[in-house]
Amino acid sequence: MAEKAILFDSSFCTGCHGCQIACKCWNNLPSPTGLNESGFSGTHQNPPDLNGHTRLIMTYNELEGGSKGVMWAFGRRACRHCSDAPCAGICPSGALRKDEETGMVAVERSKCVGCQYCSTACPFDVPRYEASGPLGQVTIVEKCTGCVDRIRQGMAPACVTTCQPGALRFGDREEMLEVARERVEVLKGRGYEDAVLYGENEMGGLHVIYVLKYGVEAHGQVPNPQASPMADLVGIMKPLTAVGAGAAVLGFAAMFGLGVGYKRKKLAYNPETGDTIDVETGEVVKHGDGQDEQSVKEHIFENLPVRKGDGHE
Amino acid sequence: MTTHWCDFQNADVVMNIGSNSAENHPVSSKWLNRAHERGAKWIVVDPRYTRTAEVADIYCPIRSGTDIAFYGGMYRYIIENLIEPNLARHLAGEKVEEYNFEYLLNYTNASYLLNEGYEFDPETGLFSGWDEETGSYSAASWHYQVESESEWDTSAGGAYAWAVGEGVPEFTPPVVEHPKRDMTLSDPMCVYQQLKRHYSRYDMDTVCRICGMDKGTLELVYSTYASTAAPGKAGAILYALGQTQHTYGAQNTRAMSVLQLLLGNVGVPGGGVAALRGEPNVQGATDMGMLVNEHPAYLKWPNTTARATLRKWLEGETYSDGYYTNKPKFLISSLKEWFGDAATLDNDYGYDWWPKVPSAVGDQDYTHISTFELMSQGVIKGYFNWGMNPCHSAPNAGNARRSMANLDWLVVVDQVLTEAATFWKAPDMEPAEIDTEVYFLPCALIYEKPGIILNSGRWLQYRFKAVEPWGEAKPDYEIVDMLWREIVALYEAEGGANPDPILNTKWDYYVDGKIDPRPVAWALNGYRVAGTECDTSADDPKVDLLSGYSELAADGTTACATWIYSGFWNNNDAPLDPAEQPIARRDNTDESGLGLYSNWAYSWPNNRRILYNRASADTEGRPWSAEKTLVEWTGSEWNQVDVGDFTAVSNGVPVPPNNNAFFMLWEQNARLESYGMVDGPLPEHYEPFETPLSKNIVNGSLNNPVFLGKDYESTKHGTAADYPIVATTYSVTEQWQTGSQTRMCPALVEAMPAQFIEISEELAAEKGISRGDKVRVWNNRGSVVVDVVITKRMKPLTVDGGMQHLVGLTHHYGWAGAFGTSETLVNDLTPNVGDPNSQTPEFKAFLVNIEKA
Repeated sequence: MAEKAILFDSSFCTGCHGCQIACKCWNNLPSPTGLNESGFSGTHQNPPDLNGHTRLIMTYNELEGGSKGVMWAFGRRACRHCSDAPCAGICPSGALRKDEETGMVAVERSKCVGCQYCSTACPFDVPRYEASGPLGQVTIVEKCTGCVDRIRQGMAPACVTTCQPGALRFGDREEMLEVARERVEVLKGRGYEDAVLYGENEMGGLHVIYVLKYGVEAHGQVPNPQASPMADLVGIMKPLTAVGAGAAVLGFAAMFGLGVGYKRKKLAYNPETGDTIDVETGEVVKHGDGQDEQSVKEHIFENLPVRKGDGHE
Repeated sequence: MTTHWCDFQNADVVMNIGSNSAENHPVSSKWLNRAHERGAKWIVVDPRYTRTAEVADIYCPIRSGTDIAFYGGMYRYIIENLIEPNLARHLAGEKVEEYNFEYLLNYTNASYLLNEGYEFDPETGLFSGWDEETGSYSAASWHYQVESESEWDTSAGGAYAWAVGEGVPEFTPPVVEHPKRDMTLSDPMCVYQQLKRHYSRYDMDTVCRICGMDKGTLELVYSTYASTAAPGKAGAILYALGQTQHTYGAQNTRAMSVLQLLLGNVGVPGGGVAALRGEPNVQGATDMGMLVNEHPAYLKWPNTTARATLRKWLEGETYSDGYYTNKPKFLISSLKEWFGDAATLDNDYGYDWWPKVPSAVGDQDYTHISTFELMSQGVIKGYFNWGMNPCHSAPNAGNARRSMANLDWLVVVDQVLTEAATFWKAPDMEPAEIDTEVYFLPCALIYEKPGIILNSGRWLQYRFKAVEPWGEAKPDYEIVDMLWREIVALYEAEGGANPDPILNTKWDYYVDGKIDPRPVAWALNGYRVAGTECDTSADDPKVDLLSGYSELAADGTTACATWIYSGFWNNNDAPLDPAEQPIARRDNTDESGLGLYSNWAYSWPNNRRILYNRASADTEGRPWSAEKTLVEWTGSEWNQVDVGDFTAVSNGVPVPPNNNAFFMLWEQNARLESYGMVDGPLPEHYEPFETPLSKNIVNGSLNNPVFLGKDYESTKHGTAADYPIVATTYSVTEQWQTGSQTRMCPALVEAMPAQFIEISEELAAEKGISRGDKVRVWNNRGSVVVDVVITKRMKPLTVDGGMQHLVGLTHHYGWAGAFGTSETLVNDLTPNVGDPNSQTPEFKAFLVNIEKA
């Protein structure tokens, strides 16, 4: 099987929400069932962001200008399935991994240990978490799987199948790129000067290819995406998880703490040096002077969250 | 619609006006995008920048309710820029590339002379024939001058011998009038000259003053759309409720038809007047005669005046020429289905058992809006509320629910507890003070029963049952059957005021004793009475189905409830197997290359995909565009790529081309001017019932002189002094109408969790409203609190020199529901006034004020 890609052509999109609903239906993702539990965002973008039960949302960006006076730039926010997927690289448990056949970043939720590293690493702010466990203390990653299950059966992803205007297409990545390149030229010919192809080279090449009528940022995409420095940092620790069981436990535990630390305090612990650093500034907050295993564990459990929510971030 | 969804791909220019197809008809995008990819230009005319506007090329804002001014300006543009400069050239025999004179002269009534008494007075805003006392028009002066007359040949062997055959009720056949014509279009009384004169007032500056758009944009729209006047080019108009829900909604539809005729866009691939219907079966409901004045299949119900007897009906409704000369066959066959063996020649086939619509001047009106007036007056005491939710969807919904509280009993048949089923639970109602007995009958959802659906393109399909209904829910036809048997039993036991219509009604749609939609399908298709028993056994069905409506007779030997469907279920070899009928066809090969898909499903009438397709070829039968051939005269016969909408063969002999392109009219030419409307022969701009203007800019009558509901106190007219903001209503993709079904789907509630008002950034700033606020919207009829969307997609317009704010509201939420509800109903604000032809309420233009809640 050649590498696959979903093509999102914003110039065909009508923002109908069909893909978002199809994703929920195929993947059995629940929606709030309490009376008027779903709040209104004040725009068509509902829910306003991805969450623990929502892997795909449409985005609706309004801008002044253009030949019609206003531009309503529809966007699609979900996993881009990077070739150099930092989430898969950082994932210690194998819950996220590159599907070598399709190029999609597949998800095996049963393997997720809830470390949330993937969220740290993702340049697109995609992974979300569903809380589970009696106290909601375990979090399981939730993100687009590329419908690898459907692809293997010769089907297109659910979002693509439901799209009536033909804004979503699915096929071999090279073919989708070819279609997208041609389409950008057509749009430029129609006066959409900022029309651009996105996803060809970003993050080593995305497996969601975008034709963006009004340019990258207008449609809510990330210009020049880069993996978080955290991805490299934590990558160092990966060997820990590969060795003997005891070390693996420690490795998991350390990373768990790291992830939590990032989420809660934006701090990270580097087991190689023993330092705790501020993720945003890179400053060493606490030097690793003689921290032993026990103190590492204490650090972890001090930071272990007891979650009450239902996974909506 | 005159065409079908897949045909949009053939358009050269698409114009959405009063419709938001990308939002409300998502599947249309598939075909519209194909046209767009082939280079079609796409125009959206709408008060706000919609989802459709985003995918289109040109967006033209318009003040809600001013469409006729917009169209009138375009007529004038076409006349000034295309017709006048080229008419002499055409008449001199020159070939004119940019305008289709052959179409205008031969296929429309442009050359017909109107009665000398015809006139329009801009000072009063009235057409000739106005009766001040009754507040209504006589259409006599809107007719044509007559050149000569001829009569039907009813002699043995004559074309109309059937009209005097045995069993056919006696009636005097209509006289065929041959109108006077001026093929040079120079006679001042010809339709073209009257049209030119009428719309001379609609120059672009005036249109912009009324409608509020920028002149440059308007001219771009006019020039782009008028480019489809070239022979071989096609423009499609896509309209929906934004056109029809006005006090002149039917005239809006007329206005679109006139435009399409002026441009030669009717009957050609990629053209047409495309009514985008709602829920898949809205077109079916219309075909079925769900209006008080429309009998199934677009025949007229009896009334108390012009159609008071069968003879009057036959003499008044039967056309003198064209296909509707066959109307007696349709009507008698319908009566035979309605009353079966009880319908005989001697009793006028039971005609008098049908209810008669009160139609004398001053008679009570029983249409939707007026129903609630009669409830509030205590005249209507019981109400069957079946498959609709008027407590939510009726205009002035507060008035509707207060009226319902006057009922003795109410029966609601629905899938969920709607606002209508729980009207007494509305936040402003006092249940303790309401004595109405409410019965709720749960019914099966579409997937829980077999049956027939029909889409906007007139394609019929049979759907099999997918799952069993929940709990006690039953298909509607089972509920009807249970009620019917009880009612008949009561009449039989107790008599009653008027038992004959009930006891003589034929109700026998049973298979092995169980009510079943398949014998109903026989009735809709039509059959020979002699060989048919609808009450049938599955093993040995006895039926003699007609192959199509050409086999219908006016002598009582055939029965057919819906003549237009005849042919959709005609396989006598397997009459109870839906899969063996034309309606079940699933072959998606397209032999036409035009997306006709003639072997997919069944399109009424006669599997014709594009109505009036004779007009796709010139008077010699040569298609305007060789690449878009629907029908073509080969020199000896007609090559019919689509089923011809004209007489192609008569008595087995091919009929050479003529100019009878519209054979559903007696003229067989389409009407630019029409005497068939109650409010004028040409579309004229009037302001909505509630308007921000104090006077009509183009004539002396502010409102349509004959709009419906002007005398109801409950409408509580508001003026711009109190309510300066123009409002309209619309729907979003994620919710369907009153939300009864869609608000039962948590994923849809999550995707669109509220109804909202869309306001411009300018209005938000003026009123101090920010994102996340709630907004109170009110007028004389009601006050509602809704969420707000502050958007760049809505802008104030300059109307008659002043700044005019527009707002739009969605209307999907109410107090009933399990996941998403609202305390208030948006339709509390809309006025209960309507169109005098169709009785459609004016939901799309009214006045409000707003403030931060």
